[in-house]
Amino acid sequence: MTFEQAKTVLVQRATERGVEAEVLATSGRELTLSAADGRVDEITSATRGGVGVRVVHEGRIGYASSEALDEASLAWVLDEAIENAALQSARGAVLVEGHALGRSDLIGEGLSAPVERKAEAVTTLESALSADERVDAIAFARYSESESEAVLGSTRGADGGYRNGYAMLMASPIMRQGESVKQGYEIDFGKEFHAMDPTRTSQRILEKVGRHLGATPLPTGRYATVFEPEVVATILQLLLFSLSGKTLAEGKSRLAQRLGQPIASERFTLVDDPTLENGLASRPFDAEGTPASRTVVIERGVLRSFLHNSDTARRTGQANTGHASRSYASTLGVGATNLMLEAGEGVVLDDGVIVTNLMGVHAGANPISGDVSVQGLGLRVEGGESRPVENFALSFNLFRLLERIEAVGAEVQWRPAGGAIVGARSLQVDALSFAGA
Amino acid sequence: MLTSSTAETVLRAARRGGADFADLYVERWRRRNLRVIDGEVEDAVSAIEQGAGVRLFFGTDVVYAYTNELDDASLGELVATLVRLRGSGASDGQVDERGAGGLDLRRRGPQGLHAPRIAFDAFDKAWRLERLRELDAGARIDPAVSQVEGRLIEWEQDVLVVTSEGDWVEDRRVRTRCAANVIASEGDQTQTGYVGPGLSVGLELFDQNPPAEIGATAARQALTNLRAVPAPAGTMPVVIGNGVGGVIFHEALGHLVETTSVARRASVLTDKLGQQVASPAVTYVDDGTTPHGWGSSEFDDEGMATERTVLIDKGILTSYMVDRWGSLKTGYRRTGSGRRENYTYAPTSRMRNTFILPGDVHDTKDLFQGISYGLYAKAMGGGQVMPGSGEYNFAVSEGYVIRHGEIAEPVRGAMLVGKGPDTIQKVDAVATDLSTEPGMCGSRSGYIPTEVGQPHLRVSEIVVGGEA
Repeated sequence: MTFEQAKTVLVQRATERGVEAEVLATSGRELTLSAADGRVDEITSATRGGVGVRVVHEGRIGYASSEALDEASLAWVLDEAIENAALQSARGAVLVEGHALGRSDLIGEGLSAPVERKAEAVTTLESALSADERVDAIAFARYSESESEAVLGSTRGADGGYRNGYAMLMASPIMRQGESVKQGYEIDFGKEFHAMDPTRTSQRILEKVGRHLGATPLPTGRYATVFEPEVVATILQLLLFSLSGKTLAEGKSRLAQRLGQPIASERFTLVDDPTLENGLASRPFDAEGTPASRTVVIERGVLRSFLHNSDTARRTGQANTGHASRSYASTLGVGATNLMLEAGEGVVLDDGVIVTNLMGVHAGANPISGDVSVQGLGLRVEGGESRPVENFALSFNLFRLLERIEAVGAEVQWRPAGGAIVGARSLQVDALSFAGA
Repeated sequence: MLTSSTAETVLRAARRGGADFADLYVERWRRRNLRVIDGEVEDAVSAIEQGAGVRLFFGTDVVYAYTNELDDASLGELVATLVRLRGSGASDGQVDERGAGGLDLRRRGPQGLHAPRIAFDAFDKAWRLERLRELDAGARIDPAVSQVEGRLIEWEQDVLVVTSEGDWVEDRRVRTRCAANVIASEGDQTQTGYVGPGLSVGLELFDQNPPAEIGATAARQALTNLRAVPAPAGTMPVVIGNGVGGVIFHEALGHLVETTSVARRASVLTDKLGQQVASPAVTYVDDGTTPHGWGSSEFDDEGMATERTVLIDKGILTSYMVDRWGSLKTGYRRTGSGRRENYTYAPTSRMRNTFILPGDVHDTKDLFQGISYGLYAKAMGGGQVMPGSGEYNFAVSEGYVIRHGEIAEPVRGAMLVGKGPDTIQKVDAVATDLSTEPGMCGSRSGYIPTEVGQPHLRVSEIVVGGEA
């Protein structure tokens, strides 16, 4: 049975049993090639998918899923989901009305190329890195592509499907210059394999990691600060926690009660756009079948919307923004898609610190309070000249930081961040405290 | 789950592509997970997982691919991809090395050594919820108990392993675990208690472990911690409790004798067979055959019958835990230790049920005799280990001061710090009250069920880190 057929069978059976149900089938194909010593040394070739049922009956929700699509497995899954729903206390859950959503292909032939060409891409990347005499070792050099497909149907009329995917080249060299050793990580990705250029990627990686060699301790002090886009992506990922309708519904968002109020500098505009053309996280509808649309989250500093699925919207009395996220085996959540910081006029720093890396953000940041205390790596700029600096810690509060943004970069850099794809730009703030030597 | 002709086609394609050896792993799981907080259902999730993995050996290079599309075309494409990227095309295509190119399948299946008495489909969900509500009620032994979480996990796994050497091995594994997590609060203090029995059984788990007792045990631990004083710091003798105390040696010794690290020379115990690596009081065993053990199975995930492997005999290192790849790399005999979380991982050498055997101290109280000041680490929590050196730090989840040979006041925040290979040398007395506890062990091939265990034992000195 195909996913499409399994979906149809399950929707039909649910209707016969008199329960409302939504059926989501997702599947993914992944190919990962790692290179060492000029040849491919590790291969992961995988396909995995399944069908998940979400039964909504008398205000209760029950889940079950299967990777097997035979009749007996599907029958068991529906029985279990109904029984799982019956165990819950009534919570007023409803299944949203569905629409005909069509079938979309957002990747087409983008990843079609002989596997040998992909192997060549990663060995070229690895060899180009090894050729640089400053490279001591390569922790990994990898080509990876993934393709995903989703099919959705419900007893309330939802019916649709789409396919998307992308390819990535990434590597982490360990570079040395005298006593100074630095390891870094860089990633390039796109929806067209043919547009990828391993030589260009290797140059970017070498430049990015190499500029930190010979770093000296940063003296403790307050400096004007620019965060590079990669760091900004991490900061936005942290912010996303408080913007999630789920966090809000659970009473954990610091931004509760701030809707319509300024929460950031007016230079700061943040938009989530699942309809973005060629967006790596674009999709025509969300995991509940809500058609995709652009959501302005923060507009010139003013909080305009949280990200919601139908459940968090109902629980908070706000509008559903179509940000339901879920795979066949997981329960309903909230997720951003292409989350983009709108362009500013650019950043200019004559005297200060450019923060290029933050380490230990997972342990050193409290997403609820927004307090961040982490180790950083960067460049000290003085009189237009820059030199690498290390061994400093910086502490700030995310929400205070947003209010203090003085400039936003013009160039966008897309990065994967916590399930979303974030379009980040440089951010400049006035003096921040750095604890260094 | 798969016909022999499909298996044969896949393995033949692998051998024709130049693989020296290939195996096919197919599995199907049914899982249920029920989580109840303060008597209300928080999660109730059920799932079927099904998939296959193909592994090809080119010498000691291994490539792996997996899918959950089990038709001939999908599996064929999987092998073709691996062969195109890595194959030499130089083999004769023979599948069974002893045969003439056809599969001479030797079929083996489970004898039911760990089979459940109560079937996976017995009782309804309401019955299960009732048990977790009993757990909740059992935990309410004091007004300070502020939250009770009960979990019931049920797994049924059918496994098939087919190899290019002609093995066709089927196994069925059924496991059930019930866990209680209790929070106790008083003033601004909050402490937790945890207990989670699990076995290769069905719902008869509750016959040996009544739900109310599971709840009460976790609650007592939380309350003990709530009323405990900060732990002392310094180097002192430590008595480590039976059962879950064994987690230290699992992490800081067991992982060092898996060929996963030994074959890469990434363990300090590499090339130490026949040498004294532990105190003579210690005999350390990894046993895949313990009847109904949480980490037991009749066959490993490479299709080899499991066995009882004596790792350390009276202090002498006698065996490593060896999988097929480890055996190829090191020449050591395979020990039925190839395991994986599921089809998305290739197998590696892993522990099963690993424990220290009973010693010669018949009365556990005697272990405490002669300790004028020390620590009794009754239950252990989480920790960290450096895999190469065995350096560890472990939190004591239930601890007491030992004063003049007696167990005195409870302490909290104690941390044991040391190196596994040093600590095992300093075990100077082992009691006879061996017990084991289930856990989930994470490593290269994912999270798998294992048991840790030991009798009460005494370590002459360990560095204890107290509360900061």
